[in-house]
Amino acid sequence: MKRIYLNNCLTSQPAPEVIDAMLPYYKEKFHFPENFIQPGTERSRELEEFKAIVAGSINAQPKAVHFTNSGTDANNLAIKGYISANAAKGNHIICSIVDYPDILTNAAYFEESGFEVSYLSCDADGFIDLEELKQELRKDTILVMTTLANHTVGTLQDITEIKKIIDESISNAALFVDACQGYGRVPVDVQQMNVDMLTLSAHKIHGPQGVGALYIKPGISVAPTRHGINRIDPLATGAISIANIAGFAKAVELAFDKFQENVDYIRNLTRYLFESIEKRIPYTMLNGAFCDYRAPHNLNVSFDFIEGEAIMMMLDQYGISVATGSACFSEGLQANYVMMAMGRNHEQSHSSMKFTLSRYNTREEIDYVVDKLEEVVKELRRRSPLYADFIAKQ
Amino acid sequence: MQYSQKVLDHFMKPHNLGKLDTSNAEATEGSPACGDQVSIWLNVNEDTQVIEDIGFLSYGCASNIATASIITDMAKGKTIAEAKAISWKEAAEELDGLPPVKMHCSVLAVDTLRKAIKNYEIAHHLIESDKGSLNKEMILAELAKILYPKVGEDLISLKMVKYASVNEDGLVTIDVEIPKFDQYRENVADEIREHIEKLPGVKKVTINL
Repeated sequence: MKRIYLNNCLTSQPAPEVIDAMLPYYKEKFHFPENFIQPGTERSRELEEFKAIVAGSINAQPKAVHFTNSGTDANNLAIKGYISANAAKGNHIICSIVDYPDILTNAAYFEESGFEVSYLSCDADGFIDLEELKQELRKDTILVMTTLANHTVGTLQDITEIKKIIDESISNAALFVDACQGYGRVPVDVQQMNVDMLTLSAHKIHGPQGVGALYIKPGISVAPTRHGINRIDPLATGAISIANIAGFAKAVELAFDKFQENVDYIRNLTRYLFESIEKRIPYTMLNGAFCDYRAPHNLNVSFDFIEGEAIMMMLDQYGISVATGSACFSEGLQANYVMMAMGRNHEQSHSSMKFTLSRYNTREEIDYVVDKLEEVVKELRRRSPLYADFIAKQ
Repeated sequence: MQYSQKVLDHFMKPHNLGKLDTSNAEATEGSPACGDQVSIWLNVNEDTQVIEDIGFLSYGCASNIATASIITDMAKGKTIAEAKAISWKEAAEELDGLPPVKMHCSVLAVDTLRKAIKNYEIAHHLIESDKGSLNKEMILAELAKILYPKVGEDLISLKMVKYASVNEDGLVTIDVEIPKFDQYRENVADEIREHIEKLPGVKKVTINL
């Protein structure tokens, strides 16, 4: 049975072209970039080409882009590296309660080490409270961290507006954006957004796992966070996989070659999935913003009276991969924090299902998924005491 | 972590599903807020005390449904005294094991079965209903039903409860030893609160981690 994969925000299938682009770097082109000697200088030149491709996709200068070993690696370099280089300027940082765990765990780490952290709240769709941002910005605020597309509900934060608010405040804080979830699906222009730091990840856009990138605006200082031998970049010391970087560049080319066409295709497919669910399955609720204000590949829906891990497991038995916000599937057995921050109750959080699509999904696959989903929801409701109570009261 | 094939079989095709048309005892345990709730109906032969029929409904994850299915299988045809003795460990073993983090599902299923039997016994004057005042033993008995998800053993057996007390005003204090960065810290605190708050006479629960 061919599996239908709708969990692309976790990781995505590498494009065949990406694998082809990587293979030579495992075989005859295995060398490290070096000066003067032939293979080394060839790798150096290729590395610069790959960097130019990735930089071009976000309208950055190639020298402003630093490859890392993952998106999380890039996030850590940005946050820890910036704070380490700028700690003398202040003791206060800002993020929001719906940010990606990379940001939240770093915020907790700095709070533990004596920094003051303000956690902005959000509205029912996951948009962070910009009025609160205005109030929280202080003279000693050194960093504001946010996530471009929310990893749970796909809500897109207004980065340009956030930067404007920071610039109009008394603070000189830098703006860091984790763009790993939105990149390749919504336009990212670092000049227009005017961000100070921004991170990307290859495996979310059909590139290889194990490579990310950090954009640093010229003039912003970031200290190295991992000390060691300087092979290609003092900010990313040690061995780095050129094969992965080659794959990353190929994935970027594929995503941006027909960007609008790709995005429209995914958005229409996601909308089709949502409309089919709405039409065929009663008692559901959309989580997050409507289509144009969320990442086009993300759909998050709660199914009343039943629990998400069971939905996920039953779909898994039918060869369908999805994700759930249920506590029963979470690491610490806690309700999904993004759902709770948006004001959902425990039941709505436990029954939330996340479908994240890719350009490799087809309309036929979506039809099959909705057929099975309808069956699964009906079956689990038949087993649910909550649904029995609800029907009895009708 | 992986579910056994037997868990998946019981999850996909559960046995004894549904409310019984005729029953003489029932119980519901758990709550939607914690993401799992089980209801069990019994039809007990009043002469022989044998559970002749049993049915369940479950709001919960795959292992929740599978444990309710297996526990109802195990109880069917047994006397209430035999059924009461079924432990959550036996239920988990019958399913060829459960991942540690899912062990609490078998506790909920066993709890619901025992509660249904108790309700039967009370209704048929076989035992008296609980009216004893709140005491430390009741607190410890509840804590023994709470599993530490990392290993799937209860807080008492693991000696994680360092102190437990209750005063005349219904104020309960519990000290639990759990590492600071343990991913289940909040879950354990929530579970304790939920179990202890439902005991009769409890006014306030203070948990020190």
